[in-house]
Amino acid sequence: MDTVIVTGASRGLGRYCAERLHETGYRVVGLGRSAVADAPFETREADVADPASLARALGDLRRDKNVFALVNAAGIASMNLVVTTPPETVRRIIETNLLGTIYCCQQVAPSLIMRGGGRIINFSTLGVPLAIKGEAIYVASKAGVEGFSRTFAREMAPYGVTVNTVAPGPIDTDLLDKVPKENVAAVVRQQIIPRQGEPADVWNVVSLLLSPASSMISGETLHVGGA
Amino acid sequence: MSVSYDEVEKYVREEVASLTNRDATAVGPETVLVGTNRIVDSADLVMLLLSAEEYTREKLGAVFDWTSDSAMSEARSVLRSVGSLARHLTDLQPA
Repeated sequence: MDTVIVTGASRGLGRYCAERLHETGYRVVGLGRSAVADAPFETREADVADPASLARALGDLRRDKNVFALVNAAGIASMNLVVTTPPETVRRIIETNLLGTIYCCQQVAPSLIMRGGGRIINFSTLGVPLAIKGEAIYVASKAGVEGFSRTFAREMAPYGVTVNTVAPGPIDTDLLDKVPKENVAAVVRQQIIPRQGEPADVWNVVSLLLSPASSMISGETLHVGGA
Repeated sequence: MSVSYDEVEKYVREEVASLTNRDATAVGPETVLVGTNRIVDSADLVMLLLSAEEYTREKLGAVFDWTSDSAMSEARSVLRSVGSLARHLTDLQPA
């Protein structure tokens, strides 16, 4: 059975995708910083910003040719002006969103190389092209993810591994809990499709990227909602 | 009992020969792995490193961490040649 590793599987889009993957018939290994409650899929504790933690959590899969894909959905956000964001928060956002994505790719890529093919799907945000006020540091971390993914895609292409980025607009998950509704509406109005997306809209893109039909798509950022 | 350098070098030579479809006698300690005149492409190099990681763990009882700031350096990398890689793996063994 093909295995898909999902980070950020305890909640939000990561949890949603992990559940859909499980329903689809994949073996799902979901990572969360703390125990993932009531999950129908296998879960392990790991901090994506800590390479040693990832190595401990995923060491047994490093040479497992059943590993087919990595979905890097772990992420944190903080709506704040740059000048009022504490340095510790800046560091935490960059470490989790950007370094965490890179570390997970480093950990999982060898098994995909051994397999001779696979998928890596990273997560960004429509905030990158829309340059949303109050999200500069979050956007910086995600712009880094997009640049990393596009370049990493070239390194992985010889092994038949595609690397793409899914960049949703505001989706109704707990990541938006602290964002005022009027701010969300203002962002949605800037999308090409001015409708707030559902987790299912993101899953549809993830599902496409996992399918054989996407074998010639790599190094791309797919904007859910359009920008 | 520790594994000798010669034995480790033999393993590396055979791995490189297999990955590059060469006769093992055509691969020696001076065979270049990175930089100018290398005989392995980047895909083969990663496969070699994955194999070496497993060999080091199972045969040498050590951990081969192949992330290195100088991994692709022709001058400084332990990966620069079959011999330098074999020496590095040999030296990883617990005293």
